[in-house]
Amino acid sequence: MADNKQTPGGGNQPKPGGNTPKPGVSAKDRSRQQSRPVTAKAAKPPAKKGGPARGGGSGGGSRPPVKKAGSRKGPSGAVLAWGAVAVVIVVVVVIVAVAVTGGSNSTNASFTAVTPAPSSVVSKVTNIPDSVYNQVGVTSSVQVSPPIPLSNQPILMLDGKPGVLYVGAEYCPYCAAERWALVSSLSRFGTFSNLKVTASSHTDVFPATNTFSFEGSTYTSPYLTFQAVEQVSNIPNGQGYYTPLDKITKAQQAILNKYEQPPLDPNAQTGQFGYPFVDIGNQAIVTGPSYSSGILAGLTHSDIANGLSNPSNPVTQAIVATSNYISASICASTKNQPTAVCQSAGVQAATKALAAAAK
Amino acid sequence: MHTLRWQPITSLVLSIVGLAVSIYLTLTHFSSAVTLSCPAGGGAINCEKVTTSSQSYVFGIPVAVLGLAYFLPMLVLCLPVAWRSLNRWIHLARLLLSVAGVGMIIYLISAELFTIKAICLWCTSVHVITFLLFVLIVTTAPVVLGWGEADELVDGTEGVGSE
Repeated sequence: MADNKQTPGGGNQPKPGGNTPKPGVSAKDRSRQQSRPVTAKAAKPPAKKGGPARGGGSGGGSRPPVKKAGSRKGPSGAVLAWGAVAVVIVVVVVIVAVAVTGGSNSTNASFTAVTPAPSSVVSKVTNIPDSVYNQVGVTSSVQVSPPIPLSNQPILMLDGKPGVLYVGAEYCPYCAAERWALVSSLSRFGTFSNLKVTASSHTDVFPATNTFSFEGSTYTSPYLTFQAVEQVSNIPNGQGYYTPLDKITKAQQAILNKYEQPPLDPNAQTGQFGYPFVDIGNQAIVTGPSYSSGILAGLTHSDIANGLSNPSNPVTQAIVATSNYISASICASTKNQPTAVCQSAGVQAATKALAAAAK
Repeated sequence: MHTLRWQPITSLVLSIVGLAVSIYLTLTHFSSAVTLSCPAGGGAINCEKVTTSSQSYVFGIPVAVLGLAYFLPMLVLCLPVAWRSLNRWIHLARLLLSVAGVGMIIYLISAELFTIKAICLWCTSVHVITFLLFVLIVTTAPVVLGWGEADELVDGTEGVGSE
């Protein structure tokens, strides 16, 4: 830091016998001291008392010493300062190195296997009493976000019928929450088979949220076509992500490119895609969790399913309200078919709420 | 080497950028309009996982708000007038704040890598800015506070408060 051989101006001090400094501080120097930042003042180099000023150069003029402190025996402030910086760097490097090394050792982190869904669970989710749908409507003690309604969009047709496209991932905790409502709603329009159960990532936010998986399942309906793409599993791949599952088709990617991007998805960032994404007949889109996955924490599949007959249960309210929103959006593309569903009180409540949100 | 020409303005610029990022992170923390989703294509970079984790609060205060609480006074302390100040406490406060800041980012980096197991790029940018401020302020501290070689000043221009 300090160079004791230099003058304040950065040059070397004049040679002895040359421009020998006069005692005292010149008016020019005093003026300079007053105008310069104190930080610059503090940086003035020392001069050796009684010793010859060494070197030459223009410098900024030299001044006579007025004070000399004793020589420091310990390291200089500069050494301590850069030492502190070095310590911080070393600490950060060690932290990163340990994390990277530890990360490679944790590639076999636990995950919840995908298994066939118990019939008791499927039955309760796919047969929620109409009274529960109607009593809950869109009223929930847990905050529920409605789908983003779309206007002036052509109805999404898949295999000749109005379509619902889901794109998600098994590791995704937000998808985990959304699937309960999707299975519930879609079951009012058709029939699932080969549904699986699993849980979201054990290491992501809202870890191990119990849910279904659409991987390998089929869905049939006289009213609509449901396509589900689980792009990624919940099995860690050892590189910080998860093993791949379904490949998205070009047609499905085209839907994402249009509807999960601005301006149709006002919350999206151009070029970035996230899970879950649900295109409900191009009449509404879901681009994130409709309710917090956190409310499912610690609940087994059976816990959640068993609660679905109780409209006072907060988890049930969140799932059913979300389900009613999805059903209302589906009804917008199926020309309100079937009427038993689309004209039900719960779906009508959701239809009104979506219409209000669209204004 | 002794004259601080670029350090004050550099620290000011860093503080402004850090404050801007902190404001953004605070707004997103409290904004209900922000849609959460799981990132498609990669898992290590996951801002939402970081900002919604339990580690995003320290003593019940959102870390984003703590960022504001750090950069706002830091910006004031890095104004040119503050760098020129003869008040030793101003320079000490700047130094202590920078040390506290770098201590905090060491904790946050540890939390990201070991507990949350995800990295937020916005947070990382704040960490880099905080570290650069730390380097800049700590390495100039001997000059502005009159420590170290400044004790050897003999021309009456020793550092602030060194008398």
